Amino acid sequence: MNLSLVSAGAVTPAGIGTDTITASWPVSQAQDTQGRLISAALVKTEDPSLLRWQKEPRLRRASPITYYMIEAVAQAVEKLSAEEKKRTGIIATFFLGCLVYSVRFYRQITDEGRRFASPVLFPETVFNSPLSHVVATLGLHGPVYSQIGDRTCWASALRTAQSWLALGTCDRVVVLGAEEFEPLEVDALRAGGLLRRGLVPAEGCVALMFEASSTPDSGLGPIMDGFSFTHHRDAAHAMQRCLASFPAGIPVFDTNGDDLSKGPDGFTVSAAADTYRAGQMIRKGTAHDLLVPVRGLTRQVAAYRLRG
Amino acid sequence: MSRAARLAVPAAAEAMRQAGLLDDHGRSVFPRLEMSVSTTACGMEKGEEFTRNTWQKNIHGQAALVAHYQSQHQVAAIHQSLGFDGPVMTIANACAGGANAIGHAGDLIRAGVTEIVLAGGYEALSELVFAGFDSLQSLAPEACRPFDRGRRGLMLGEGAAFLVLEKSSHARKRGAAILGHLEGYGHSTDLHHLTQPAPDGAPLEKAIRQALDQAGCGPDKVGYMNAHGTGTPFNDGAEAAAFHRVFNSGKTKLSSTKAATGHTLGAAGAIEAVFAVMTLLSGNIPPQINLLDPEPLAAGALSAPGDKLDSDHVISVNLGFGGSNAALAFSRS
Repeated sequence: MNLSLVSAGAVTPAGIGTDTITASWPVSQAQDTQGRLISAALVKTEDPSLLRWQKEPRLRRASPITYYMIEAVAQAVEKLSAEEKKRTGIIATFFLGCLVYSVRFYRQITDEGRRFASPVLFPETVFNSPLSHVVATLGLHGPVYSQIGDRTCWASALRTAQSWLALGTCDRVVVLGAEEFEPLEVDALRAGGLLRRGLVPAEGCVALMFEASSTPDSGLGPIMDGFSFTHHRDAAHAMQRCLASFPAGIPVFDTNGDDLSKGPDGFTVSAAADTYRAGQMIRKGTAHDLLVPVRGLTRQVAAYRLRG
Repeated sequence: MSRAARLAVPAAAEAMRQAGLLDDHGRSVFPRLEMSVSTTACGMEKGEEFTRNTWQKNIHGQAALVAHYQSQHQVAAIHQSLGFDGPVMTIANACAGGANAIGHAGDLIRAGVTEIVLAGGYEALSELVFAGFDSLQSLAPEACRPFDRGRRGLMLGEGAAFLVLEKSSHARKRGAAILGHLEGYGHSTDLHHLTQPAPDGAPLEKAIRQALDQAGCGPDKVGYMNAHGTGTPFNDGAEAAAFHRVFNSGKTKLSSTKAATGHTLGAAGAIEAVFAVMTLLSGNIPPQINLLDPEPLAAGALSAPGDKLDSDHVISVNLGFGGSNAALAFSRS
């Protein structure tokens, strides 16, 4: 069961809408927890397209990632009728998840004591809370999963979408990658050696809606995932093993690869953006058959085939 | 290794050993094996330590803490300890995630994606999670009393459970002992509130009926339901309402094993699936312990010590924050 990309939505550092996926993401400066400045590609949160969601009663206290997600998903499902929304599944993927409220809640516990920790914040720290807000607000009634992991959880989510469509669990599936920036993230990336390798953190959400492809020789698939590496130096070899699972001679889509300095990295957001960008190449005739690699930063690699 | 990984690895090893998937050296006989797992907090205590260190400007040893917090490192611990690799789906659907992970494994097999999956969940207690439920005033000040009218909250627990899900023909071909069949999986999302289920339990009812429909099993054929039964007023009320509507023949027994195990969050669905399968295997229904004054809608169904299963079908259900509901229908082998 291959997947056909039928619509998309995006909130990126370049702005709102799918045009911003292929645009370059502007880099500005952000602070880590010690106030040191680093480069980061951040969403302009004062954009009216995001602010409009604050009027929704359920979203008054939601975290930034929820706003990125609901705007991107709203764009992707804009043309669906209420009836079609009943048969629409959705899968969110996160590398970091609800970091802003998690850090804020833990700060309350450690600084002020457990008795003063806010019961309003805690539920918003749970991985699947943002997606819960999205489906409740937009009225999506199909299956709902939140999947986590390094960037390859994007490939895993695409496989979940394939299985749902193959089994008739729903008629279409929105798969999204979303991340939000928090200064503690910078310290974690620094500790993991990723800043030293040139990584510029990014945030936002890219949501792609898929239906079952009408022919087995087109669309997205097969997906080959689950190729692990222990050390960063072994990642390229893992990717070679993964790509060897496909027929020889298919061009490989140029993601940033192992060179983290090539552009801002929004983890699952970037993985979703790569799918969209590769799809645009197919749509515009620049390519008719591509292998798209998905490189997890810490554990696994995956790849999938995209055909016109 | 994080505490979560230390819980997950032995549970995964036990499941694989029982399924005949480990060789004499404790290594997987299959070099590649699909996994479907659930957690809500990953290696949270490592993340907490990293955060405290960062705030205190203590930068030594931070890389390992960052690494071992992440869910992929608990999976890596299983891979490396048991000698296999392969695709991994880690679901974070809060407290329903364990059931979702098992249901998803069934989906993968039914869709023809794979023939065998190691599925389960793990959870380690952490300061953030404890403080979170404490802030919500969800923790029981005394014994956890699911489906009791005097229930006052949940008791947190920790643990891990794994099951090997396998296409029946594949299992028979390699001579594996089949413990039970996963016949149905239902899942739905409750849009009522972020942390409270719809009082009438309608979304949970939908998930239960989906699972029963897929299993081709009428409600009157189900001998036991392992409930989510957290012991909180909202959860048990909604769950009792859903149970009462679906299983109205009076033949289905009900209990929540969380009164004994505590609420293990992302592992709960997997641990309780094991209780459901063990009920099929042993014929003994887990009794509802700590019960003094039964919730009226569930009163006649709550199981007592010594109750025996007189059916070939059981069901296990879970609910989670964000409105996640999942139901698994198992049948005797």
